[in-house]
Amino acid sequence: MSSTAATSSKGSHLSRIWVIATHTFTQLVRMKVFYFLAVFAVIAIASNFFDLPQHEGPEAVGANVLRSIKSWSLGAMTLFSVVLSVVATALLLPKDAEDRTLYTILAKPVPRFDYLAGKLLGVLLLVFVSLALMDALMTAVLQVRTNMVVAQQEEMAKAMGWPQDAITSLRNETLESGPNASLQGAVFAVFLRASIMASLALLISTFSSSTLFTTIVSFLIYFIGHFQADARNLYLHSGEAGEGVFARLASLLLSLVLPDFQLFNVIDAVIEGQVLPMIAVAKLALVGLYYAVFFTIASWFIFADKEF
Amino acid sequence: MPYEQALGNSLRDAGLFPPALQITTRDKIGQTSSAVALGGLRTLVATFLNLRAFTYFTEQRWQDVEETFNTIVDLAPHTRYYWETGSWHMAYNAASYYINDSKLPPLRRREAWRMSILKGRVFLERGIRNNPDDWSMLASYGFLLSDSNKYPAFRDKNASFAAAADAYRKADATGKALGYVKRSAFYALARVDGREAEALAEARRLYAQGKINHTPTMKALLFVLQAWENPQMDLLASAIEIFETPENAYEALSAHWERTRDGFPVHGVSKAIVLLEERLAIPKDQSVLNKPLPPPGGPDEWFR
Repeated sequence: MSSTAATSSKGSHLSRIWVIATHTFTQLVRMKVFYFLAVFAVIAIASNFFDLPQHEGPEAVGANVLRSIKSWSLGAMTLFSVVLSVVATALLLPKDAEDRTLYTILAKPVPRFDYLAGKLLGVLLLVFVSLALMDALMTAVLQVRTNMVVAQQEEMAKAMGWPQDAITSLRNETLESGPNASLQGAVFAVFLRASIMASLALLISTFSSSTLFTTIVSFLIYFIGHFQADARNLYLHSGEAGEGVFARLASLLLSLVLPDFQLFNVIDAVIEGQVLPMIAVAKLALVGLYYAVFFTIASWFIFADKEF
Repeated sequence: MPYEQALGNSLRDAGLFPPALQITTRDKIGQTSSAVALGGLRTLVATFLNLRAFTYFTEQRWQDVEETFNTIVDLAPHTRYYWETGSWHMAYNAASYYINDSKLPPLRRREAWRMSILKGRVFLERGIRNNPDDWSMLASYGFLLSDSNKYPAFRDKNASFAAAADAYRKADATGKALGYVKRSAFYALARVDGREAEALAEARRLYAQGKINHTPTMKALLFVLQAWENPQMDLLASAIEIFETPENAYEALSAHWERTRDGFPVHGVSKAIVLLEERLAIPKDQSVLNKPLPPPGGPDEWFR
């Protein structure tokens, strides 16, 4: 094959995947999935009202409510994104088969890998847009509330006769609890976890018999994935406590196949005010990319020989 | 797998990875919350538990408040608010409740009051061990140990003030503390018997830093410690030099004389007041020295 033909083939692969992805995105949007944003808006605004009394001076005013907004919002984002990625992916193949769209597409010169990759990309696009909208809402609410807290603290500090340098120091400390790069890194970690779940659900849906089965198994694996580190430790330190061969093999299998979802719990540290370095985000992105690619290729192996 | 292991270790080293959830914590929060916490929403569970703890606080269920905050800090060990609020509920709210709890006899009320303060102290110490660089927790600890309503709960008053001064200094050493922390460290140090020379040196250092540190307490303590260093000094001249006018000196030293509950030293204060009264022609019957001192308060009075 000439290089021009190879480039053309590569280009057509990408364009096919993109067409399927945008179609999938449109298909999912028409299912009115964005209605959950109204629920998220209520959660983000409601989290403003849990400003419990504190015990001391200006530095304590509003300290809890800023964390409460981040905690509630990132919690809701995690929940919505994981549910959305699993349920949306679980729906896709059975729905295409039911609507007979799948047969129409596969009857054309569309490689099965392109079809799967397009479907996955469509779901990821939906999750990304959803998270971006939730992130924008959270950032707006947090920014407004941070400004209010800073104003309250300054007013109280001035009334108590604090010197200007102390007020400035307090202001800077409070602003660190507002929207920042680490918070965006945490939202990206939420997206990565949802991406892995979407690709995992895609893999399960290639051999599952129903949407319900895919959803249930995906969520089970989601929770098991939070114990992957325990399985890994068991394997790496096997022999110390006299585990049997079966336990060793099972822990090895779990460690190799399942992602360690605990890694993405860095969002808790960000809510607690820790700084999330870019390098940590990049390393998490590598983990996300590895599992997304691994599960997609595994889906392709199964889907490639599937008879319809 | 090795990559995930290494990444997990590096995140743990950077303080971005929470410690594993204790089995006792899992039991306390129940299966559903455990699942949510394991699903990466530990801080969210902590937020809800904090709301529950607030309800317990309003219902004055102090044992439940304590248990809930112990669970909360297992879930979110790096959140200053939870450590400070939990300690505050134990050392201040529960302790104050027992001062007025008419259902218990005085001796048991006194013990419950003391235990609540000690629990608040221990809780804050745990918070500091988990967050050694947090200036606010260190300052809160210093405040608790030097609080005039709390230090009688500790066996050794001198050791409490010394520990308070140490905590404030550590808070200041983080480089993030607000300006009052330096002065608070000095106020605690000034009350430690046997460290007067160190306190005087600190007073002079802070005083030389400018008007920001020229608070009434700082001026009074500078005067008192100078009188301790040199009992033969001219008290009147020294008081006027520090307080600028005899009127200011009389007002400030009288206030210092009446602060019996704070445990501040009073070297030379009564003599200076006498001299200032002569200078200002204040009649003997109006002398602050002839007025009854405010009751010292404290457990001996509360639990009679």
